[in-house]
Amino acid sequence: MNELRRRFQPEQIRELVLIGLILALALFFSTQIENYLHPRTFTRISTSVAVVAIVAVGQTLVILTRNIDLSVGSIVGFTAYATGTMLAANNDLPPLAVVLMAVGMGAAMGALNGVLVAYGRVPAIIVTLGTLAIYRTLLVEFSGAKSVLTSELPRWLVNLPPLNAFSIGAVEIRLLFLIALIVVIAFQILVTYMTWGRRLYAIGSNPEAARVAGFPAQRMVFTAFLLSGALAGLAGFVFLARFGNITVVAGQGIELKSVAAAVVGGVNINGGIGSPFGAFLGALLIDIIDNSLIRWLAISEFWRNALLGLMILLAVATDTVVMNRLRKAWVRHELQTSSASLSVEQGGARHAT
Amino acid sequence: MRKTTTLLMSLLIILSMLVAACGPAATPTPTPVPPTPTPTPQPTEAPTEAAPAEAPAEEPTPTEAPAEEAAPAAEVVKATPGQAVKMILMPKFLGILVFDQANQGAQEAHAELGNPEPLQFLGPTPENSVAGQIEILTNAVTQGIQAIMISNNAGDQIAPAAKAAREAGMTVVTWDSPIPSAEGEQVFVAQVDFDETGKVMADMARNILGEDGGKFAVLSASPDAANQNAWIAALQRVLEQPEYANLELVDIVYGNDQSEDSYNQALALVDKYPDLELIMAPTTVGIAAAAKAMQDEGLCDTVKVSGLGLPAEMLEFTLNGCAPQFALWSFKDLGYLTYYVTYLLATGALQGVEGETFEAGRMGVYTIEKDPTRAAGLRVLMGPFTIYDASNVEEAAK
Amino acid sequence: MRHRAAFLQRWEGLLLVLLAVTVVYNALNAPGYMTLGNWINLFQLSIEKIIVALIMTFIIINAEIDLSVASVMGFSACTAGFLYANGTPMEWAVAVALLAGVAAGLFNSFWIGVVGLPSLVVTLSGLIGYRGLAYVLVEDRSIGGFPQWFNRLGQQPLIGPFPLALIIFFVLLVFAIIILQYSGFGRYVYVIGNNKEVARYSGVHVRRTKMILFVTSSTIAALAGILYAARLGAVRGDMATGFELDIITMVLLGGVSIYGGSGTMWGVLLSVLIILNLRNGMGLANLSGHVQTGVIGALLILSVLAPNVAGQVRSFWNRRRAQRMETGNA
Repeated sequence: MNELRRRFQPEQIRELVLIGLILALALFFSTQIENYLHPRTFTRISTSVAVVAIVAVGQTLVILTRNIDLSVGSIVGFTAYATGTMLAANNDLPPLAVVLMAVGMGAAMGALNGVLVAYGRVPAIIVTLGTLAIYRTLLVEFSGAKSVLTSELPRWLVNLPPLNAFSIGAVEIRLLFLIALIVVIAFQILVTYMTWGRRLYAIGSNPEAARVAGFPAQRMVFTAFLLSGALAGLAGFVFLARFGNITVVAGQGIELKSVAAAVVGGVNINGGIGSPFGAFLGALLIDIIDNSLIRWLAISEFWRNALLGLMILLAVATDTVVMNRLRKAWVRHELQTSSASLSVEQGGARHAT
Repeated sequence: MRKTTTLLMSLLIILSMLVAACGPAATPTPTPVPPTPTPTPQPTEAPTEAAPAEAPAEEPTPTEAPAEEAAPAAEVVKATPGQAVKMILMPKFLGILVFDQANQGAQEAHAELGNPEPLQFLGPTPENSVAGQIEILTNAVTQGIQAIMISNNAGDQIAPAAKAAREAGMTVVTWDSPIPSAEGEQVFVAQVDFDETGKVMADMARNILGEDGGKFAVLSASPDAANQNAWIAALQRVLEQPEYANLELVDIVYGNDQSEDSYNQALALVDKYPDLELIMAPTTVGIAAAAKAMQDEGLCDTVKVSGLGLPAEMLEFTLNGCAPQFALWSFKDLGYLTYYVTYLLATGALQGVEGETFEAGRMGVYTIEKDPTRAAGLRVLMGPFTIYDASNVEEAAK
Repeated sequence: MRHRAAFLQRWEGLLLVLLAVTVVYNALNAPGYMTLGNWINLFQLSIEKIIVALIMTFIIINAEIDLSVASVMGFSACTAGFLYANGTPMEWAVAVALLAGVAAGLFNSFWIGVVGLPSLVVTLSGLIGYRGLAYVLVEDRSIGGFPQWFNRLGQQPLIGPFPLALIIFFVLLVFAIIILQYSGFGRYVYVIGNNKEVARYSGVHVRRTKMILFVTSSTIAALAGILYAARLGAVRGDMATGFELDIITMVLLGGVSIYGGSGTMWGVLLSVLIILNLRNGMGLANLSGHVQTGVIGALLILSVLAPNVAGQVRSFWNRRRAQRMETGNA
């Protein structure tokens, strides 16, 4: 225990607790569902979580600054649709250009959110509730009720979802999941080791102090929204690749899913606490519950959502209770040992409370 | 302080001008209900009872048939073009291709009949479908709209608003999806016979699974989708017949007409039932998502997909064998026929009682009959299904 | 303190102007707008949302959020429908459905007040979970055929031209204004919303206040769900899905700060009137549902943005003037 304490900080422990919860759930479901511990299950869940995981990382950046982005679902839908339409019209667009286009479109929509929040000083929930409706309206008007059709898309895109990046034993890491993983790792590094990322925590936990310290708070909030939009755009591309047929309802509801993933993953809605990796674990936890419930023969179709709600609540409660215990134990320990001051400094960004 | 107010005022004015620009310029005050026309009765050959069940192949020209055939009271009612009727075509929600096709058909009939009033195509947003449909229907009464055509997504919940509209003198016709209790609705224009849908699905399952049969599952829209529920119930009744004894329906799951949910549900079915051979999805979103899931996971050889789908969306999966067979009807024709029925009812040419026969432009002669698939209500049956496979899907997808 | 009061006065003034513009515009352009029937319809079509918006105002001023209200509406309506379909008299079914709302509220406040989880997390789970319970009860059925008296309450006028739900709304509105603006409890709600810690040290029962609010919120949502069932004459599992965002939009446009501590019931009343009239006018002008939500979204942003931009422009000019005067003096 002491060893553990020395090596990890509270927020890292939180991630360990989440991983423990995920393993416990998998173990539980494996006793209920035949053939559950099979590489196939990993493929199912990893491919299904990719879209929400990417969006949840962007959502985390925004929530860290004590804001929220509810427009991501509409951004995912818009970019999936617009990118799909362009590809249908011109099958020869190079893949990289397509991805950049999706990301760029998302970034532009995120930038508008950012300008309004950071420079227009409109609360984020108001801005993004508004753009949630506006971006969806634009999509519907722009679409003229047409759909993007799988048969019009280039082959490389349609064949992307089953594409395997590499295998670990019998476990496949699909390319789309790999994209999500890269996003998670890249942003985890950004917020942990880069100045910009660490300042995000400072802004979220105490905006006044951050301003006094001379951080360019406005510009950082703007950038957080821009990145959230860009990641939603990337998720839109993944969405397009995965489903092929895109209608105007594409991506509806992702805003709440991403917020749920972030808060379940330990991102504090009041800013300053949490990490992209945590949000990823949150998304994974929800997806495992969801995808396992629909495979559980004993559970009727109609009980699924009731159980999903309850299990999310219990997961967060367990996490919170365990964390509170640990934190108290911590404080006691820190008071007792002289090495305390050292570990606080090592804590860096994660310890920003 | 004053500057702020001025600025705000000008912003508001700009906003209101925007609203004004988007909306049609001041709608004229509602004109009174047009005079009831007296359609010149044109005797024709007596309609045979079964005739409307099959699609009328050729338009039977209403000839001056002598009364020798002893027609039982029925005469073919024809529309008098050029009458002014304010009409609304309301889909379940906006942004879905099939409803747009229905609108094309309705606009075609609208132009053909030379109705001087515009035909509005108004619908709610997908996430607000039930409340939105009720709102549009209620507002239509206020606006003095004379007839509305509803693809009902609210089940019986729309009945009070529909009854209120009827009391206000509006013609209320449903298409694609009826009001289950038939309260507040005059006629339902049925795309196909809802019982027949069950048989068509069972037949497709038998065609795909072969003589030895096998296990299959249904992937539906949402648990609240009245159409899908009626079709699945019909399918279950058909499956009880001895000739379908070797088809086993193992599960019914819901994808909520969302790609993500449908895709995940399709894969879950495969995992749950290792010897599953077919997924039957009576929803265009579900069938396409299920086919994509099977294709992505390389399961097309073992698990086939079928159901109701749009040729354009299914083209790829039919050609590569993931979804060898599926069915649908023409939404364009449905819109066209619905417009005719509604126009005839609103102008008083039809009374909306059982046994009335009428001519619907290019589509021929139809009869209003009791709806055998509901406890109450009248219907006009369009039909038939078109079964799509590799031989005809490319042509239809164009 | 005076500064905030001034801001709020300005906010409500802005809303009043907006409302006037909407009403005048509709009166000139939307046929059939200026009739009593239409005015009652306009309330009646969103009556359940605006009833819940009243209690949501308390919750948001208290710096919390309740995302589960729409699901609780569906849950209570389905409870009533389920019991009625299984032979319970409608009176009892309605009573139990209200109790189901109370139970949902107690459940929410247990996790928020006793365990100490954030309300966003608890009610987000509730949004999924209570909707799930609604489906557990009715499955794929649509339950209707309620007794005449029940349908009449939802669909026919009760006193004069006014239906029951509208009367309930106005009664609750009066209560809400009195409690929030003129009672000790209302003051607690603001104080806690401003600063929970300060409130606790000054002897306010933070936990109890929050728990009362969340129980009330679910109870009123349950009542709204039953009224919705009566208005539509049938219940299904998807009833009221997605209403939570509309309700929150109404409260925020009313000038209630999402960070808690500020906003008034008057502002929310004005915002409700604006949204209802705007939707009604756009509906009568045959604008599609998407354009309607888009315009309301834009209005929400602009109404906050405009004063901010105006303020910044003014302070910019003041600075410029001050600089010019300085340079002139030098």
